[in-house]
Order: sequence, then structure tokens, then C-alpha cells
Amino acid sequence: MGLLKVSASPHIRHEDTTRVLMSDVILAMIPLLIWGAYVFGLRVLTITAVSIVSCVVFEALFNLILKKKIPVGDLSAVVSGMLLAFNLPATIPLWIPVIGAFFAMVVVKGLFGGLGKNFMNPVLAARAFLFGSWPSHMTTYSAPLERLSAFGKIDAVSSATTLTELKNGALPSEDIFDLFIGNMAGCIGEVSAMLILAGGIYLLVRKVITWQIPVAFIATVALLTFAFAPDGVSNLSFMMAELFSGGVMLGAVFMATDYVTSPVTAKGRLIYGIGCGALTVFIRFFGGYPEGVSFAILIMNLFVWYLDRATKPRKFGGIRNAKA
Amino acid sequence: MSLTFKGGLHPEENKITAKSPIEVMPEPATVAIAMSQHIGAPCIPTVKKGDYVYKGQTVGEGQGGLTCPVHSSISGTVIGIEDRVGAFGQKVTHVVIENDFKSELLPEIKPNSKSLEESTFDEIVEIIKSAGIAGLGGATFPTHFKVASAKGKGEKLIINCCECEPYITANHRLMLEKPEDIINGVKVVMKALDLKACHIAIEDNKKDAIKVMQEKVGNENGIDIKVLKTKYPQGDERQLIYAIDKIEIPTGKLPADVGRIVLNAETSAAIWRAFHDGIPLVDRVMTVTGDCVAQPKNLIVPLGTSISDIISYCGGYTGEIEKIISGGPMMGMAQWDETAPVIKGTASILCFGKKNKTQPSENCIHCGKCVGSCPMHLMPLYLASFAKQGDWESCREFDVLSCVECGCCTYQCPGNVPIVQYIRTAKGKLRK
Repeated sequence: MGLLKVSASPHIRHEDTTRVLMSDVILAMIPLLIWGAYVFGLRVLTITAVSIVSCVVFEALFNLILKKKIPVGDLSAVVSGMLLAFNLPATIPLWIPVIGAFFAMVVVKGLFGGLGKNFMNPVLAARAFLFGSWPSHMTTYSAPLERLSAFGKIDAVSSATTLTELKNGALPSEDIFDLFIGNMAGCIGEVSAMLILAGGIYLLVRKVITWQIPVAFIATVALLTFAFAPDGVSNLSFMMAELFSGGVMLGAVFMATDYVTSPVTAKGRLIYGIGCGALTVFIRFFGGYPEGVSFAILIMNLFVWYLDRATKPRKFGGIRNAKA
Repeated sequence: MSLTFKGGLHPEENKITAKSPIEVMPEPATVAIAMSQHIGAPCIPTVKKGDYVYKGQTVGEGQGGLTCPVHSSISGTVIGIEDRVGAFGQKVTHVVIENDFKSELLPEIKPNSKSLEESTFDEIVEIIKSAGIAGLGGATFPTHFKVASAKGKGEKLIINCCECEPYITANHRLMLEKPEDIINGVKVVMKALDLKACHIAIEDNKKDAIKVMQEKVGNENGIDIKVLKTKYPQGDERQLIYAIDKIEIPTGKLPADVGRIVLNAETSAAIWRAFHDGIPLVDRVMTVTGDCVAQPKNLIVPLGTSISDIISYCGGYTGEIEKIISGGPMMGMAQWDETAPVIKGTASILCFGKKNKTQPSENCIHCGKCVGSCPMHLMPLYLASFAKQGDWESCREFDVLSCVECGCCTYQCPGNVPIVQYIRTAKGKLRK
């Protein structure tokens, strides 16, 4: 008999590889895509397809040029592509997601060393870049249920989002239930709080994410908007409108929970979530933009290493507060 | 509500042999008795080539306190004193004995004439020592040393029947088939150390064993059953003591320092056999299992039996063998070949086929699953990353030396990063 395979323990592995986890995220986002296509038309699918293909191709090309292993198999580029599309309005010209994909996959992710090495969420960094470069394209929203065709000319009337109304201290004209199910203007994947929450529950059950970040994020936004609702507006309605408008739900469930750019400890995740929520409200109330979610998360991304370090668990058997 | 600890995980149990009664494996034609089957000084052979040895006769003894004699598990002739690769992958001196198949017990071995009540601490420790008993859960710490060092400090005995590693069912079967031996062993240790309390700790996936042990313990003074949540590594004595008493053993200290003495179930049974019948440790219960062995079994195997003899007794392989592991799948040692003999710590032999092929390692994605599952509450991802960069001081600062190498982090890692390997490297560097 020949020599056997010798390797270090442990000799068994959990079946959830990166690829499986990413597949779960993709699965959790599919309802959002379908809902987006229902509310804004088939153009949503075109944008998403362009975005996914661009992300995958840019990542593959980048690694090809650098003679590195092409990591398409881990599906993380597909997740990035979907999320990038979800952060765009349905009226967006199709070249924008291509540029966004380049910025996300090459500048933010690839140049910093690829999967696991980037310090900022690539999708949000790309969104911020696009937002700064082509603000009007990024904020031209079509009205809900005025469906755009897959490739046709865009002739829909541009519609204000509920965030603009909230920014002016008034409640939006839509009723809260419409906001909750996602019958409103906004970015492709962010409108339906209901489906995002359902996706979040799926990810929690599958243990892809933990509860700390989404709960802390959403609770902080809820608390602050309830406490500081403008005069003459019902605190509860204002809070709900703030929660269900814009990117809070998508940000809290799918963006802030990005592994690479969020803390690894339970305590760190709580603080991170609270920070994201507080900054979101701060920007919405006092900033120049109606929306603050992406910037809030990007700012908190910068604190991840610090939070990990500061919330290092006390080792088992270690004396409290003592350095080993 | 079952008792538990923070961290850890629950791998697929795969306890396929849970319902297989323990079989006595026939003695093999030759055995190779390793001179180092325990933690501490290795033994030096006390027999030479050509000597006749009885079953139960001492064939090797060590110097100093932290050591443990070894005995012949068969009767026959010493045909060689050889250096061979042992179960831990290192060269160890072995006494090779050819079986005469008479199974002649050493004439001096006879049942103890003294009752437990009359026995003293020193007598009991001496019995445990000369019987060569070491921790049979796998750690193989010399038991006489553990008992002796707990004198005056020990308050409570804990019998570890967790068997938290997947696949292994040796303790489970022992509890079902020989519960009295375990409980009598408990009484011996309690008498020696004058202990008033003992917990028998069983994970909640072994309901039948909990029931049997509960019945047998009955209203025995001071002994009770503690039911623990099924979670790996519950059988680590630190986590076990924490789960039961909520006491953390401070870093660098031993269970005795917090008044606890933890013994494996089979160790306890071996203590009883040594005390009552005078029989030294010459065989042990083990599980032979995996997807590549024809008839998975629980066996009583003479120490020194080679893996190949055991596997042929279990019907050989089914399919192409990829890996043989001595011990559990989480912490066991992969073997070079099938020649290594069974030692005192061999709780199982696992035979894995091709489908257990190791996947290539990818990038760490910072998911934090390793942090959540670390029973020592470390941050394995950073330890691995510092070790990768050769930053040993940061490893120390992040408590790399507290790692028990249970493998939870690596088991969980979606990127299949060999975290424990990096940690072992760092520990090795820092200990130099």
C-alpha cells in the first residue's frame, strides 16, 4: 500500500464555502430584482444584467492581466453586480453601471488585493463615485408602475422620491403601507422594505449574517427619527416613512453586513450598526443630500479595524481587563 | 435546559456506530508496544529480544514523576525492539511481541484483597500508576499524576463522557454496556481524594446512556448526572468545567487549581479494573468507522495492534482510501500508512475515502465565523493573518498561546483558510 494523504486537523469542513454563502445572498436578493422589474419595468433586468456582467468581466480581466487566479467561482462579483444595480434608478443610462463596475471591482477591490482585502464596500464606493460624477443621472427616478421597457427610450416623467419630501419636513404623499411594500419611486432594489426584510430573515436563518448590524442600524434610525420628528408631523408616521424610504433597509440588511467591510465581533457589529444608523440620520437631517445611507456605511467602513481591535473578546481564562 | 459554554459548533455527528455493541477483537499475531503512549517522559524497554512476556507484564518504564509504564497486551516472545513511526508521526521505540495465542496472564496479577474502604490514598495512586493508566479520552496525561496533584486541592470529580468529536462512540457504548465499571472507578478516585461530589457529564445526544447512567447511579452519595448540550468541543475540560460550574480555569492553570479533577469515562473504568482485578491497561475500547471501512465497529483492541490488523478485522476498505485518522476528525492525527499501532490515546480509527479531499484555500473574507465559534474567545482570522506576515508579536498580543487547536475556526472557514496551521506555526515560533 502506498502512502496515505497526511494533512493537519481538522479533517472535516463545514459545507458553507464562500460560494455557498454568496449564493445565499443572491437567492435572498432575487425577490428584490423581481419586485424592481414589476414596479419599474423590464429595464431593471437589463441594468442588472449589464452590471453583473461588467463586474464579473472586470474582475476576471484584472486578475488575468495581473496573472492571478480568476476568482469568479466565489460569486462575490455577481453579488457586487446585483447590489450595484440595486443602487441605481431605473432610468440610468446603461454605460453608468459599466463605469461603476470598473470602479468597484478594479479600483476599490482589485487594487487593494481582491476579495477580503478592500477596506471599503466596493459597491457603495462606486455609488458615491457615480453620485459625485453624474448626479443628475443618479437622481432621475421614474414613477412607480410606469414601467420602462427593457431597451426602449426612456420617456417616463421623473418623479421625486419620498426622501425629498421628508427632507423638507413633510410626510410623503404615499401611505405607509405603499412605502412598506415598495410601491414608490427610488432605486431598483431598495424600494420594498418588506422583501428586503424577508431576505434578511432568510440570511439570518441560514446564518449568513448575524442580527447585530441590521438590528442596530434600523433601531438607531427608528429611535432618532422618532425622537426628532419635525413639529406638526406624527412621530410614528415620520419614523416609518424614514425607515421605509431610501436605502435604510437595503443598506442595513445587504450593504452594511458585507463581511469584508464590517467588524467580526458581536459588540463591534452593534457599535458599527449604531454608527451607520446615527450617521444616516445625521446626513438626512443636516447634510446636503436627502439620502445618507451610503455615506454613513462608507464612513463606518473606515472604523472596522479599530472596532475589531477595540472589541477584542476577553480570552477564556484571561483576567478581566488585563493584558496577557 | 442543557448546560453549555460560549462558542464552539455542532458538526454533523456521523455517529454511525452508536448502536453497535462493543466486540472483543481477537488478538493479532504480533503487537508493537510503543514506549511513549502518554504525555511525559518516554519509557525505556525493560525486556529484550527473545524474552518471554506474559499478558500484563511491564515491558517499559519511565523515569521521573510524569510518566506511565507500558505493559504487554498479549503473551508471547519479544521479537524485536525497534524504532518505528508511531501514531503521532514521530519515531518511537516499540517492543514488538509475537503472540503465542495462550493469553497467559502475569501470575502476579490477582484481584485486590483489600476493600476500597481500607485502601489509602498512596495505595490507590500506586495501583493507578503501576497499571499504566493515562487519559483515555486522547490526551493521555498520566492519571496517577493527575490524581496525586489534586490531593488537598480537589473538591469535585467530573467524569467526561461528552465524546464531542463526531464519529466516535466508544464512551457512549461503554456507558451502555459497562456503566458499573465507570461508577466504581469514580468511587475509587473519590475515596482516594476524599471527594464528596462527582458529576458524570454526558451530552444530550446520548439519551440512552443518560438513562442507563442515571439508573445505575441511583441514590449514590454525591454522584449525579449532568446533561450537556451537544456541541464541540464540550469534551475539552476547560469548557466542561465552565459548562457545569461556570468557572473559567485561568490561563496557564490546571483543573486542580480550581478544585476540579476531570477524568474520561473509560479512564475511570480502567481505574476500577486495575483496582479490583489488578489488571493493567492492556486494551481499550475504540471506534473504527468512516465512509471507507466495510464494517464500522466498536471494538476492544489490545494495545499495540496495528491499524491494518484492525481494518482487516472490520472487513477491509470499501473504495479507495484517502486518509486514515487516529483519533477524531476534528483533532485526530492523519497517518502515513496503516502500520502504526494502537496506543492508549487511540479512541478511534477513521477511514475516509476520496470525497473527503481537501479543497484549496481561498482568501479570508472577514466573515467572523471563526470568532464566533472559538471556545477560547480568540480572533483566529487575525492570528492567521499575523502569522502569515510573520508578525509573531501581534500573535502573542492576540493571545495565540491560549489556542487549544480544537479546529472550530478552520472547520467553519468558508474560505477554507488553514487557520489552525498558521496558529501552530505562530505558537511554535513564540515558544522557541
